[in-house]
Amino acid sequence: MRATLRLLQHRQPMIKFVGKHTPPAKLDHTPVAHPASPTHTLPNSFAQYRQKAQQHGPLNGGSKLGLGAIGSHSGHSLGSVEPKKGEYFDRDELPRRFRRTPWTTAEIEAVESGGASMF
Amino acid sequence: MLSRAIPRSVLRSTAASSSSSFRASNIYLGRQSRRWYASEAEEKDLVIVGGGVAGYVAAIKAGQSGLKVACIEKRGTLGGTCLNVGCIPSKSLLNNSHLLHTIQHDTKNRGIEVGDIKLNLDVMMKAKDTSVQGLTKGVEFLFKKNNVEYIKGTGAFKDEHTIAVNLNDGGETEVKGKNIFIATGSESTPFPGLTINEENVITSTGAIALKKVPKKMVVIGGGIIGLEMGSVWSRLGSEVTVVEFLGQIGGPGMDQEISKQIQKMLAKQGMKFKLNTKVTKGDASAESIKINVEAAKGGKEELLDADVVLVAIGRRPYTAGLGLENIGLDVDERGRLVIDQEYRTKIPHIRAIGDVTFGPMLAHKAEEEGVAAVEFITKNYGHVNYNAIPSVMYTHPEVAWVGQNEQELKAQGVKYKIGSFPFSANSRAKTNLDTEGMVKFITDAETDRILGVHIVGPNAGEMIAEGTLALEYGASAEDVGRTSHAHPTLSEAFKEAAMAAYGKAIHY
Repeated sequence: MRATLRLLQHRQPMIKFVGKHTPPAKLDHTPVAHPASPTHTLPNSFAQYRQKAQQHGPLNGGSKLGLGAIGSHSGHSLGSVEPKKGEYFDRDELPRRFRRTPWTTAEIEAVESGGASMF
Repeated sequence: MLSRAIPRSVLRSTAASSSSSFRASNIYLGRQSRRWYASEAEEKDLVIVGGGVAGYVAAIKAGQSGLKVACIEKRGTLGGTCLNVGCIPSKSLLNNSHLLHTIQHDTKNRGIEVGDIKLNLDVMMKAKDTSVQGLTKGVEFLFKKNNVEYIKGTGAFKDEHTIAVNLNDGGETEVKGKNIFIATGSESTPFPGLTINEENVITSTGAIALKKVPKKMVVIGGGIIGLEMGSVWSRLGSEVTVVEFLGQIGGPGMDQEISKQIQKMLAKQGMKFKLNTKVTKGDASAESIKINVEAAKGGKEELLDADVVLVAIGRRPYTAGLGLENIGLDVDERGRLVIDQEYRTKIPHIRAIGDVTFGPMLAHKAEEEGVAAVEFITKNYGHVNYNAIPSVMYTHPEVAWVGQNEQELKAQGVKYKIGSFPFSANSRAKTNLDTEGMVKFITDAETDRILGVHIVGPNAGEMIAEGTLALEYGASAEDVGRTSHAHPTLSEAFKEAAMAAYGKAIHY
C-alpha cells in the first residue's frame, strides 16, 4: 500500500475507480443518429412519424425534452385519462385499432342462430 | 340489435366451454373475421424476431428483467448464424485442423514421434456438430429457465404491433408485442455471375460442411471469414488461393503492419494470395470451376481453376419476408435498418439490433446491443461503446485488435506513439515453440492514452480482452505497463509492448 502511495505521488493513473455504475442523472431520449451510423444523421421519416403518430401522446410534443421524447415521462406524470365533467370521448376519434369492429352479417347470424348458420 | 347486447367476453367463454364441434365453427368464424382472430393473440411486453445472438441474448435479458417475452426463430435451432453455421462450427474446424497440422508438421523438434496420421473428415465434422448441438440446446434451456416463449416459425409484420408467424410445424399464429425487436441478422453477399449451390460454389455455410477435401480452392475475398475457412482447408490439404480486391488481407480494420505479417505467416503455411486483384468472371458449368481475375486497376487477365470456390466478399442484412413494407420501415442503401441511438426505428417501439443494422457484423457486438436495447425498455438507459469492440481472426497465429489502427490515425492527423513487442522475446512463447507475431500498442503522443492495440500471435483472441478493458477504462500505456502480469505467460508480451509505448521494454 505504501509502495502504491509512493508511486502515486509521481504518477496520476488514468484508471480510477469511479464507484458503482449508475445511469446518468439526466437522460435525453430525443432521437439522434446511432453512434455507428455511417451518415451520422437520421432520415426525416423519424420526425415525420412522430408528427403523425397521435396515439402516443408523449411522441407528439408536450414533452419538456421536445419532439420524440417517448419514455422520458411515466404515464402517471401525464395526468389522469379520465374525462373532465361534461367532457365525453368518442370512440371514433381513437386510432383505428381501438375502434369498434363492425359486425358482419355472417357474425350476426352466427350469434343469433347459436352458430347453426355456419353449417 | 340483440346481438350487440351480448358482451364479447361472454361469447368467448361460450366458445371456450362448448363442445369440440362448436369450437371448429369458432375457428371457421375466426378466419372469416378479424374480431375473433385478434382477440386470441396474446400481447407480450417484448417480441423478438430472430433467435440469433442479438435476439436470444435480448430474450434472456428480457426474461431476467421480468418482461413477458417471445422469440420467433425460423431455423429450428437457436443461436443464428454464429452458433449454427458461423463462429462456432468454424472454430471447431479451425481448432481440430490446427491440431492435425501441428501433429503432421510440428512434432519432430518437440521430441514427439508419431506414426501414420490420417484425416477422418466425417468424424471431424461430427465433432463440430456435437459442439454446435450442445450450445444451441443450451440456449433453448436458458429460454425455459428465463421464461422466454420460443416460437419456431417465420415471422412477418402484420402491423406495427403484430407479428404473423408461419409455424415450422404447420399452421399460423399471431403474436402482439408492446415492444418488438428486429434481430434477423445477415446473410452472405452473393457474387454476381456465380450461383451459390453450397457444394462447389460455397459461402461460409458450405465451407463448414464440405464432404471431401477439395484439391484446389479459390477464396474470393481475403477478409476474416475467407482467411479462416481458407486456413481450415489449406491445413486439411487443399491448395488455397485467396483473391482480394484491396491491397491487404484481413479487411480495412486490420492494421497494415499486422496484415503484412499475417500474410507472410499464412503464405509460409501454404496459402497463396492475389491482392489488388478483382474477379471478373466465373464459370461453374464444368466440374472444374474457372475464375477469371485481373489486376484491380486493370491489367492482364489470368485464369484460375478450382474444385471449390468460396465466396467470402462480405455479408448483408437479412430482412427478406419480414414485411417491413407493411409498416413502412426504412433501410439504407446497404439494406441496414435505420435506427437512432436507442436502437429505435422510426416507429419507437420497434427496435433493431445486431447485423441487421449499423455497426460491425460481430456476434459480441450483437450481444451487447441485445442487452442494451432491453435496458432501454426496462431502465431507460443502455450502453454500448462502439469504440471498444474487439475483432479477432482465428487463424494460426490469431490476429486480434481493438480501437484505431495506424493508417486511420494517420488519416486523421493524430499524433501517436507506437510500442511493440515480439513474441520471439517472450519466455512462454519460446517454451511453446510458437514465437511468431507481436503485440503493438498505439498511444496518444501527448497523454499516453491507449488508442489501439493490435496483436498477431498465439492466443491473441484471448489477450485482446485486456486491451479492450484498457480502452474502455481510458487507460494509459503506463497503467498497463505498471500492472503485474504473471510469469511466464504470453500476456507479458502485452505488458512489455505497453512499456515500449511510454518507455522501453525490458526483454527486447
